[in-house]
Amino acid sequence: MAGLSFSPYMRGQFAAIARVRWQLFVNGLRTIRGRLEVVARGFMFLAFGVVGLGGSFALGALGWYFVSHGKVEWIAILLWPVFLFWQLFPVMASALTENVDSSNLLRFPLSFPSYFLIRLVYGALDPSTALGCLWLFGLAIGIGVSQPGLFLWAALVLFAFAIFNILLARMIFVWVERWLAQRRTREILGAVFFIFIICFQFIGPLVSRIGRHRHPEVSRITTQVLPYERAIPPGLAAEAIARAMHGAFTPALAAFALECAYALAILWLLNLRLRAQYHGENLSEAVARSNLRKEKRAIRLGWNVSGVPGPVAAILEKEFHYLSRSGPMLFTFVMPVVILLVFRLGPQASMRQSNFLAHAPDLAFPVGSAYALLILTNLVYNCFGADAVGMQLFYVSPVSFREILLGKNLAHALVLACEVVLVWIAVGFMFHPPAVEITFATVMGVAFALLLNLSAGNLLSIYTPKKIDYGAFGKQRASTTTVFASLGIQAVVFGLAAVTLLIARAFGEIWIATVIFLILAGLASIVYILVLNRADRIALDRRDAILAELCRG
Amino acid sequence: MDVPAIATQALTRRFGDFVAVQDVNLSVSPGQFFGFLGPNGAGKSTTIKMLTGLLAASSGCIQLLGLDLAKNPVEVKRQIGVVPEGMALFGRLTGAEYLNFVGRMYGLNRETAGKRTAELLEFMQLAEQPKTLVTDYSHGMQKKLALAAAVIHGPRILFLDEPFEGVDAIASGTLKAMLQRMIARGATIFLTSHVLEIVERLCSHLAIIHKGRLVAQGSLEELRAGVEAQAAAAMAGTSPAVSAPGEKLTLEEIFLRIVGGTRHADQELSWLG
Repeated sequence: MAGLSFSPYMRGQFAAIARVRWQLFVNGLRTIRGRLEVVARGFMFLAFGVVGLGGSFALGALGWYFVSHGKVEWIAILLWPVFLFWQLFPVMASALTENVDSSNLLRFPLSFPSYFLIRLVYGALDPSTALGCLWLFGLAIGIGVSQPGLFLWAALVLFAFAIFNILLARMIFVWVERWLAQRRTREILGAVFFIFIICFQFIGPLVSRIGRHRHPEVSRITTQVLPYERAIPPGLAAEAIARAMHGAFTPALAAFALECAYALAILWLLNLRLRAQYHGENLSEAVARSNLRKEKRAIRLGWNVSGVPGPVAAILEKEFHYLSRSGPMLFTFVMPVVILLVFRLGPQASMRQSNFLAHAPDLAFPVGSAYALLILTNLVYNCFGADAVGMQLFYVSPVSFREILLGKNLAHALVLACEVVLVWIAVGFMFHPPAVEITFATVMGVAFALLLNLSAGNLLSIYTPKKIDYGAFGKQRASTTTVFASLGIQAVVFGLAAVTLLIARAFGEIWIATVIFLILAGLASIVYILVLNRADRIALDRRDAILAELCRG
Repeated sequence: MDVPAIATQALTRRFGDFVAVQDVNLSVSPGQFFGFLGPNGAGKSTTIKMLTGLLAASSGCIQLLGLDLAKNPVEVKRQIGVVPEGMALFGRLTGAEYLNFVGRMYGLNRETAGKRTAELLEFMQLAEQPKTLVTDYSHGMQKKLALAAAVIHGPRILFLDEPFEGVDAIASGTLKAMLQRMIARGATIFLTSHVLEIVERLCSHLAIIHKGRLVAQGSLEELRAGVEAQAAAAMAGTSPAVSAPGEKLTLEEIFLRIVGGTRHADQELSWLG
């Protein structure tokens, strides 16, 4: 990074990039959809603000408590969650794909230091960095209030910790970006990510299980691990503050120096990756293609679904091909069973809210089915998103949108049916087979909720489509407007389901819920048919906006 | 007299205050290889999108094979094939799955769709990579696949928006041969391209759109005669000779004459060195 200086030329480039980002934002406001997105993001900003300020206050209070009660070493307990959030949140929230592709900048005459700084600065403008900085600031204030003499040192150590986190997050990002550049590695990474997410779900239940009994080996491992923990940045930062408080300045300085060394090592790795990008590494799919074996196969005929018209069957088949080739989607569909397993492994003796299924196993089937439905809404509410430019075919082909939506809805309904059966079997193994009346009530409830969600989903898919990629890690999110609308629909569905169950409970007869759900499903099917019959008109009226969104590069 | 394959009356499309296409009256006879030309932003893609149902017309009427597109969209679409600007491909299907899918969307039964898929993949030299997803195809391969999809149901009218862009010389030759065979069998082809040499070689009839308005329409000979007549009328003035005696005007020269594409010295970018 030698030779880094802010020449007027470089400042001009920085200003130009800042300006183009601002112009992109302003131009996005020209459409109603863009304005709605900004409003939705405003709500998200408020939510992040509450979490940021609340977390900052909480960390400040805890920091104050630990320092003033002589437990300053415990600050590590605060820094570890901050560290994990900072590094994991961008991955979990798919922020990896929300950034402007800075590698496009390479065609301009940027020096490497400029390129490096642009990737670092503009890439770091994300919620995790903002929240992490806010929380560390709160912690520094808390420590300062308790021990004013320690404030400057604590602030310096926490500042270095923040720099380390920013650099590490960027380094992870650029490496993940390198793997995302090719479809095959992108899909492998997606699978690894979802396995990681699934494993993550089991931490709580397993910790609870272990916590209920004395496990001397766990205590022994913890004692052995602690010195290593102090050699990793969150532990090092806590160690530097604790040693300084105890007057041991040399070890405090050593811990701080080691923390800075970590940051420098990460900086070096980041530099390596970005330098390779800067020198124009080739990440095209052509490399993968050159390895293809030339072969010929007999053409397999399309699916024959009895009673279903050819075009509807073709769409059904296409949807299943798409879903079966989407690693992230396939893993998502396993989640209802995983969630049931999480509940099953959780502590069963206590009356904790988090494991209510242990005390009411009859609810396992309805809860698992409801979760399966919730997962499916991601597909239902943006059903044209993955079609991208293929959407043009729907407009030029002699098939009505009624049939197209019917094919897609049929595919989604079949997926849900498979999921519900899977959940039923899983509940049977993990708890006990669901009672007949519970099974019927749940199936009717799911039918009602599905029809209502399909009706709303069909409308929102036409009104607020968003281009997505099933195969790409983190590119499956619908538009923010759709997400909020979907939340509203789920509130209505679950509200009606809750009222229905309360009525059934008041009469002490679960069959009443089945009948009510059947009536609701009947009403929802009328709404569904009405929407389907209007789909062609709406899709034609909205074709400019739909094609503009889905066919954009 | 034959019903025109493509006919528009006062076709207009506005985007807010901007009029992209204004009062376009097109007439394309069945069996014509029709070239639709115009400078960038002239309204070619907007027109072809309106003709194929990808964009609504603000006003005016479109008739394809004597049927009103707005009133009979399904019947009309059954008889046309389209390679639009974005190629309308589904990236996460294989080539065979995509062609099968398109065939069935156009009402072919499973067996016919499968048979034609195999033939088209072979013809387009795409059969050697059956497991490759469309998203992993090269641009030229995608173009060939899009063209195969556009013809799988045997359309009577084929709309092609820049079909040769990014296609190599060998594939381009194959595609041209296929298109000419379609014409010989009575199909109508409506093509837009910026490569005037290709248009000149393939198309029997042309239309030129400029700033949203149709400024010329007819056979190549008719357009040439029109330009030469205009030039002759202006001979008394300062206009230079259109062509040397005995030499025919090329399509490029005709096009430049019609859209006024001459450059002046004061338009040169002096700072380019």
